[in-house]
Amino acid sequence: MTPMNWTCEQTDERLSDYLDNLLSAEERAAFLRHVPSCAHCAPLFADVSHLVNKLHSIAEVDAPPQLVYAILDQTLGPRESFWQRVQRTFRSMGTARFVYGAASLAVTCVVLLSASGFSFRHPKMADLHPVNIYRNANSRAHVAYARSTKFFSDLRVVNEIQSRLRENEQAPINQEDSLPQRAPGKEPGSTDGTKPGPRQQNRADGLYRNLEVLADEMPMTFSVLGGRNAR
Amino acid sequence: MEQDAQLVQQCLQGDGSAWEELVRRHTRRIYNICYRFTGNRTESEDLSQEVFLRVYRTLASYRSAHGGFATWMTSVTRNLLIDHYRRTKRDRATDSLEDKMPVVENKESAGRRPDEQALLGELSGQVQFGLTKLSPELREAVILRDLQQLEYIEIQRVLGVPEGTVKSRINRGRIELARILQQMGVRPS
Repeated sequence: MTPMNWTCEQTDERLSDYLDNLLSAEERAAFLRHVPSCAHCAPLFADVSHLVNKLHSIAEVDAPPQLVYAILDQTLGPRESFWQRVQRTFRSMGTARFVYGAASLAVTCVVLLSASGFSFRHPKMADLHPVNIYRNANSRAHVAYARSTKFFSDLRVVNEIQSRLRENEQAPINQEDSLPQRAPGKEPGSTDGTKPGPRQQNRADGLYRNLEVLADEMPMTFSVLGGRNAR
Repeated sequence: MEQDAQLVQQCLQGDGSAWEELVRRHTRRIYNICYRFTGNRTESEDLSQEVFLRVYRTLASYRSAHGGFATWMTSVTRNLLIDHYRRTKRDRATDSLEDKMPVVENKESAGRRPDEQALLGELSGQVQFGLTKLSPELREAVILRDLQQLEYIEIQRVLGVPEGTVKSRINRGRIELARILQQMGVRPS
């Protein structure tokens, strides 16, 4: 089998194939047999292989630092500087909406702090501790609940007294009438008309006697009860 | 690459920070392609902005199934560069040499000695000058292959031409650039 021939035209056309390892083994062998001894191909090969080596060693140039920002400005829009952002923030504070919001927030804070027991006259850092805030708020809530309960209870008592006094003014008190009277045809201790047993009768008689004694000793109380019963 | 696709999805959902991240990740690469193609820093800056603006507007048309985001973006860049080349063809006749002066690179982290750095800086300027003498088709092929170090398949996608054409352009571009550098007196060491 005769070895493959390599010509100068092939070198002109496929020199880079050799440099980039794209030749087959047979082509590579033919290339190496021809080129070093060829007056046309040898200097060409030397120049181009040197050039390629040098091209691979050339470093990239640095892009200007402002280029990235210029690209971002063009694509995403101009970006605000720190001072521009600060100025915009202060400008937005001048609106009525912001002032109203800030005032509402301040009032809310004052109310919450007052409710939590914070003293504005004698402010202490310890009062702002979450545990103290909770404790003070809890204590104040219980005191407020107890006061309101007592207030409504007092109102009820006063109302009750007033209504009793009105009733008494309308119906004058008769001490004797205030005593419970025996129902006609009924013995003490009997509610349904049936004749009570001797033991039950004795107990009812005893209670009635006790009531008579109490009526003598506490006429005011029995006058109120009697008036109510008399109605 | 997957991270790029994820960032693109976030951008499409209106996430400005995702777009910012994409810009930061690709600005340097896009700027370098533009710079190597035009040889002019100011033009490269303007073109880079134009590229990102176009990418931002057409982001919804990007499909990850058709290749990586970087490749798609490079393709957008290449189209803009060709448009720009055609637009400014007449003006280039009066271009001053000022824009084509050699540029000193900023890759000090590579740990090169100062004399090597100076040499490479000189070579970079010479290569840059030689690149601007190539036709746009050969220039873009060499930039993508040897300076951006893309694979052939990626270059094929960016340029939208068959593999054979890509190989041919890269080969002709290298030979032509070597010849230009030789004429400038740059010899292999």
